[in-house]
Amino acid sequence: MDLRRRFLRHRKDSRLILGGLVALLAICAFVYYTLQRGRGLPAQMATNNVLLFVLWYINIILILTIVFILVRSFFRLLIERQNRILGSKFKTRLVATAISLSLIPVMILFPFATRLLLDSFDQWFATPVSEVVAEAHAAADELARRLEEDGLRKAGLVLRQVIGIDLLDLSQQADLQDRLQRLRADLDVDFLAVYDGTEPIYGTADVAAGFRRMPDPRGLKRLLERAIEDGEASKVVAEPLDVEGQLYLAAASGRRSSSDASAEPATVVLVGTLLPPDLADRRARLIDAYQSYLQLEVQKEDLRAAYLLNLLMVTLLVILAFTSISLRLARRVTVPIQALAEGTQRVSRGDLDHQVDVEVDDELGRLVTDFNHMTSELRASRTLLDRQNLELAASNERIAAVLANVAAGVLAIGPEGDILTCNSAALAILAQREDEVVSRPASEAWSDPERAKLRELAELPLVDGQRLGRQLQLTLGGEWKTLDVKVTTLPDPAARSGGRVLVLEDLTELIKAQKMAAWNEVARRIAHEIKNPLTPIRLAAERLLRKHGAADPNFATTLERGVATITREVDSLKGMVDEFSRFARMPEPRPTTIDLAALFDELVHLHLDIKPGVELATQVDAGAETVFFDLEQLKRVLLNLLDNAIEATEAPGRILLHSHREGDRLHFDVIDSGRGIRGADKERVFLPYYSTKGRGTGLGLAIVHRIVGDHHGEIVIGDAEPRGTIVSVRVPHTAPLNTAPLNTAPLNTAPRDTARSA
Amino acid sequence: MRPFAPWIVAVVCVSLLAVVAGASGRSRPEARIEALEVAVENRRLMVSFHLVDAFGDDLRRRVDSGLPTELSYELELNRDRKRWFDKDLETSRLQAIAMFNAVTSEYLINFKQDGRLIESRMVRDRDDLIEAMTHFDGLPAFDLDGRDAESRYLLRVRARLGVRNAFGWIPRSLATDWIESRKFRVGDG
Repeated sequence: MDLRRRFLRHRKDSRLILGGLVALLAICAFVYYTLQRGRGLPAQMATNNVLLFVLWYINIILILTIVFILVRSFFRLLIERQNRILGSKFKTRLVATAISLSLIPVMILFPFATRLLLDSFDQWFATPVSEVVAEAHAAADELARRLEEDGLRKAGLVLRQVIGIDLLDLSQQADLQDRLQRLRADLDVDFLAVYDGTEPIYGTADVAAGFRRMPDPRGLKRLLERAIEDGEASKVVAEPLDVEGQLYLAAASGRRSSSDASAEPATVVLVGTLLPPDLADRRARLIDAYQSYLQLEVQKEDLRAAYLLNLLMVTLLVILAFTSISLRLARRVTVPIQALAEGTQRVSRGDLDHQVDVEVDDELGRLVTDFNHMTSELRASRTLLDRQNLELAASNERIAAVLANVAAGVLAIGPEGDILTCNSAALAILAQREDEVVSRPASEAWSDPERAKLRELAELPLVDGQRLGRQLQLTLGGEWKTLDVKVTTLPDPAARSGGRVLVLEDLTELIKAQKMAAWNEVARRIAHEIKNPLTPIRLAAERLLRKHGAADPNFATTLERGVATITREVDSLKGMVDEFSRFARMPEPRPTTIDLAALFDELVHLHLDIKPGVELATQVDAGAETVFFDLEQLKRVLLNLLDNAIEATEAPGRILLHSHREGDRLHFDVIDSGRGIRGADKERVFLPYYSTKGRGTGLGLAIVHRIVGDHHGEIVIGDAEPRGTIVSVRVPHTAPLNTAPLNTAPLNTAPRDTARSA
Repeated sequence: MRPFAPWIVAVVCVSLLAVVAGASGRSRPEARIEALEVAVENRRLMVSFHLVDAFGDDLRRRVDSGLPTELSYELELNRDRKRWFDKDLETSRLQAIAMFNAVTSEYLINFKQDGRLIESRMVRDRDDLIEAMTHFDGLPAFDLDGRDAESRYLLRVRARLGVRNAFGWIPRSLATDWIESRKFRVGDG
């Protein structure tokens, strides 16, 4: 997913979360503001029916929304679990935990808050408060009632004083005015007026109290009408004009003559008593307080309902907000995990092209990224592996083709001893069918005594990488065969007992050819060697015959010389035959522990002063003091090598007999500073009857080679520095467990550097 | 996966809301409308009726507390038909709102019809207040101009008495039963 898409997605999420938080904050602020303002509002505003219903329906909607969210989540999880969708159990636990964490504290807190709220309401309307407020209001009412009664009483008194006066008679006006002024002073009222019906006739007021003019008759009309109708009436003017305080008006009416009520208007006396401003204010405050208390009490249930609904609304908002946030948080966790689980399942089914497409920025996001990276790596590895498998298959086919066409037999044996594979050459060499060999244990396939030798060789203990070579003579399929067997361990990464690879080379024909060539050479050399003595014998015989025929007087001398010659040559032939016998009948080695230093000294002593100017020296290194060898045969080996070295070394020269250890092998080196051996001759000097000296039988080094081979050793010829030859005899340092000599040694297996006896 | 389609959710929510609203809706009090009389005068329908047993202690205390106290009357002019869906012709709402001035010990009553103030009255006595708010004689309710003279009509009236709270916190509207007048024709007057 590209960076822009990630950014937009991330921005969208952040905007959503931020928007939700801002909305929640705004709602809480609004509720708080409303509650704060509600404290200062009249009670009826807070208990308005519309407000109650609005609150109630908001709560209902919130409850339904929460229930819907919870039920929807519940059913969604239920369906996921029934469908066994991966990760549904984990998701259920996480969602349940998240919802519980959001619901439980609120659920616990809500009853306590409700109880606290209800108790607070009860405290508001506690009995002492109610009584105090009611008593204060009763006192204020009593004050008003007494003022009204007193006003009515005084109005009646004045009416009786003026009832007989014709109010429209101008001559009596002065008397009326005097009388009213006197009565106002005597009765201690603040305002006194006389009306003819509702028409004002005369009025007097206490200027000191603040009256500047008579009250507006229009405002008093209803009071005057009631007084005319009922005989008396009273009224309280809460905010009279010109004066401060409350004006208590009392009116009384009567007629001069009761005979004709409709003939003349009634006389109405209006008395006003002004309650001083401070008292009026106190009364007003008492009444206001009482009414406020009464309003609260009346609206107690509505108030309680409104506060409960408010509390419930805030609680539901909190639940809704936290439930939504919890579900969202749970989803933020479960969605990537579920996607990862599904991805893992798909990858385990082999779909390595699957990528988890979930965007999160936390550690889960890192996990998703790593998972996708891992999947990509797996895909790349599988592609590489497929390619390598194809290459391997092609290589295997090539190897199989090669193996099928090579003359050498190749077999692979597994760690458990089962023959894993073999080529056709191996089957031909072993004279077996494929089904007799492949996938069978070696012990079963090669159970016969002849092939058992091959199995024993294959089972010899080897360390990894070690190679073992042997020649075996086996009778297979009725034929006597000489096999060159090489055993190599298969490398085993698990460090278990690895398998083996056997390479079989049928040397039967080669050895036959070699033997034939060797015998040819032997015959040629024997013929040559025999021919040499035969010529003098023949010449001597012919001379004797000629001398005898000619009756030579020196015949006796000639006979004597001829017989001597014949005898000498016959002895030479006999010595040659003896050498042949020794080579053919090499005695069985009887190895013993030999002190090399003593042996070297003895050999050097024997050759002292044979060739002046040629120095003989010995050197025995630590750890190479003894050797397990047949003493006579070792002497023969060393004498032969020493004779050859002395002969090849011209004075001044030096010959060193040196023994030293190289691993588990003991080396005897005969190092001379002579003329050296040419490269081609190094391969042939061990052949019987081969000699570079032009004399001798040519069997010396052949015998040396055979003795060393019988002692499981090898002999190597190299060049010395700056000149000369190193002949190195290498034998096991300790006595080998299996000291049985090999039956045969190849006549031409002395390579330049690493000739082995086997 | 979406276990519920949005329209299913909406239907369920509205249904639940309706159920809850119904449960928190109206309650039937002891109060009732009596003596419902109609008269046609100058093609205007004049109505007279009384609301009895409406002023219990709660309402009296509310009025004395100085709070605006309202009794509202719903009037429906119906055609006399058997089918319920074409009966309703016209509706009117009459409000009687009382406020008590404790300083002057006077009750101010405002009468509104369909939101318009039609009368204000001041009384000092509570009985006068109750009389004024519950007794209506010859109240012009509907203008019958344009109505079919041969059709028969009837008037239905009920009173709304305010709101009470069920269980202390669920608001419920209080209203009387509907009372039907005699059937009349426009030409009766």
